[in-house]
Amino acid sequence: MRSIAKRWLGLAVAGVSLLSVNVALATEITVWCWSPEFNGAAVKAAAEAYAKVNPGVTINVVDFDKGALEQKLQTQLAAGITDDLPDIVLIEDYGAQKYLQSFPDAFEPLNASLDYSQFANYKVELASVGDKTYSLPFDSGATVLYYRTDLLEQAGFTPADLDSITWDRYYEIGKKVEEVTGKKMTSHDVADPGLLRMMLQSAGSWYFGPDGQPNIVGNPVFKAALTELQKFLQSGIYKPTSGWNDYTGAFIGGDVASVNSAVWMVGGIKGNPELSGKWGAAQLPRIDGLEGATNYSNWGGSSWYVLASSAEKAEAIDFLSKVWAGDVEFYQKILVGQGAVGSWLPARAGAAYSSSDEFFSGQPVWANFSKWIEQIPGVNYGLFTNEADDAVRAQLPALLEVAISMRSLPPSMPRCVSRPCNALGGARLSLPRPMTRNRRQSMATDYAAMHCVC
Amino acid sequence: MNNRLFGRAFTYAGLSLIAFISVFPFYWMIVGATNTSADVTIGKLTFGSALGDNIQHFFSLFDVPRVLLNTTFVAVVGTALTLVVCSMAGYAFEIYRTKFSDRLFALFLVMLSIPFSALMIPLFIMISRAGLINTFAGVLLPGIASIFIIFYFRQATKAFPHELRDAARIDGLKEWQIFLYIYLPVMRSTYAAATIIVFMSSWNNYLWPLIVLQSNDNKVITLIVSSMRSGYNPQQGSIMVATIIATLPTLVIFFLLQRRFVEGLVGSVK
Repeated sequence: MRSIAKRWLGLAVAGVSLLSVNVALATEITVWCWSPEFNGAAVKAAAEAYAKVNPGVTINVVDFDKGALEQKLQTQLAAGITDDLPDIVLIEDYGAQKYLQSFPDAFEPLNASLDYSQFANYKVELASVGDKTYSLPFDSGATVLYYRTDLLEQAGFTPADLDSITWDRYYEIGKKVEEVTGKKMTSHDVADPGLLRMMLQSAGSWYFGPDGQPNIVGNPVFKAALTELQKFLQSGIYKPTSGWNDYTGAFIGGDVASVNSAVWMVGGIKGNPELSGKWGAAQLPRIDGLEGATNYSNWGGSSWYVLASSAEKAEAIDFLSKVWAGDVEFYQKILVGQGAVGSWLPARAGAAYSSSDEFFSGQPVWANFSKWIEQIPGVNYGLFTNEADDAVRAQLPALLEVAISMRSLPPSMPRCVSRPCNALGGARLSLPRPMTRNRRQSMATDYAAMHCVC
Repeated sequence: MNNRLFGRAFTYAGLSLIAFISVFPFYWMIVGATNTSADVTIGKLTFGSALGDNIQHFFSLFDVPRVLLNTTFVAVVGTALTLVVCSMAGYAFEIYRTKFSDRLFALFLVMLSIPFSALMIPLFIMISRAGLINTFAGVLLPGIASIFIIFYFRQATKAFPHELRDAARIDGLKEWQIFLYIYLPVMRSTYAAATIIVFMSSWNNYLWPLIVLQSNDNKVITLIVSSMRSGYNPQQGSIMVATIIATLPTLVIFFLLQRRFVEGLVGSVK
């Protein structure tokens, strides 16, 4: 009888103390992000990990469409009403500078709370303005050349033949693969400037220079990347696709032998279990004969930002620094669960990162990816990457037209294709005003240079 | 005879083609819901066996019943309030004419041409000052006085026989009684057509709820469908399940009110 009373007393005491703990620390951190399956799931895993450190804090994940989230954030920051903003928000790396520079006091610099030397350098650079860095760098878009080991073997190539190759070699292999297997080497959406962006960053350049100014006129890397893209189009080793589904459908369905994408595409590739064990992963091909060209680049990726207006700023920063910059186990969990490769370098010490993957023919893909992340050249995405992308996109059909017309020409013939030159010179570019003239000139100059000056 | 047969065949072929084009997206949506994401991406046109998984995945991502309840609430209450306010306004514009009626109405029509994006930020500030952010009232209030629906009711009221109103007045009905007992029953078809238009637009409304609603508990269906679409590898099968669930209510409402809808658009007053 007495023991029962004791037990009840104990329970009551425990209950009261629990209650008081809850009352004292009942804080809620609201996080806005997109993609419930990828980013949303990662935050939920982080919330679980954080509950062990600080059980008094609940993490409230609200997910939107990416474009929608940007619109919402933009509206609220522009309206200057910060009451209803979240504590933490996810921003895609390409747009980071636009937010940081358009709304200078809206985000909290995290230099005092984080050791940025532990993160991949290129991710830190893109979220810095002056000597302040604002992000907790999250997923990496390290580029990967995924290839079908079975098809390449039929054509007489081993995985070693794809290690750190040049684009020229890639075209050679592609032509051989098509000859033997009848399948195209890759799928390519001719209206998507993604490949050009990958090429640019692989050689350490971008639409914008380190000072944020347009870096197109007289930029040798931009010219080399355009030339390479044209060679790619001219080689004809790709299956032309239109739109994201068509593009991914080609390699998920097994129609093509390889794809140049990024680490996050693992989820898509694994979507077709029939091809398990028939995939391998190597570095992106590099531009031949260009100084500074590497086999490493980036496509996509995003980072977490703490809003300066947040009432729970201290807790939000604590959440980010304890879990996202301190919990190796958490990174193993999201790597296995979501295929999310973080850019916090110490996470590589964990077990999941060193394991090999049967889907990728037993290659230690995760260890490779995280080694490549360190090599990615850092660039400044500037304020208008998305706008510059649209302008480039508008010119891609002209580039394709030139490439196709040159497929039939013998290599020694002088190449002078006047129509696309005119098309480019006269094309209207939809860029923010300060850049328009520059871009138009540069596109025309690059083309003139490439095609023997029309 | 032969010629007529040929003409018939041609008509049917043409109509079949158009029917196919209209029905195909529905077919694709239903087939997609039964396939895995990879199969949808490849473009598989036959039924698969992943329906259960897709439904389960969709329900695991969101509190679906809650979201449907929210959407229904916003759509039903929004439709009811819009119809009450706009039908009364349309009636008043036509029946109680003053020398300002037409000028005021012309001003309204000019306002129709201002795009919503231009109004969004000021509207957001207003709603926020009123403390209505993240509430359904904040979603509903700006849309209740819809210029388009007022315009629609005003046009329909032109066909409302003035003799009826005069007879009612002579019989001693008050103005509100005329509206309620004479106008309303006569204009049934107009109300039905307006119901479909308003219900569909508030069920499908995306941008404004997106800006106003902040928490998961208050989300409406359009917001969760669009949030699934985003990401590196969207789960296409589950998106199709979500789309079916999001489309069904508007389909049901349309089929229930179809006859009246057509009548309402034609503008018949019996």
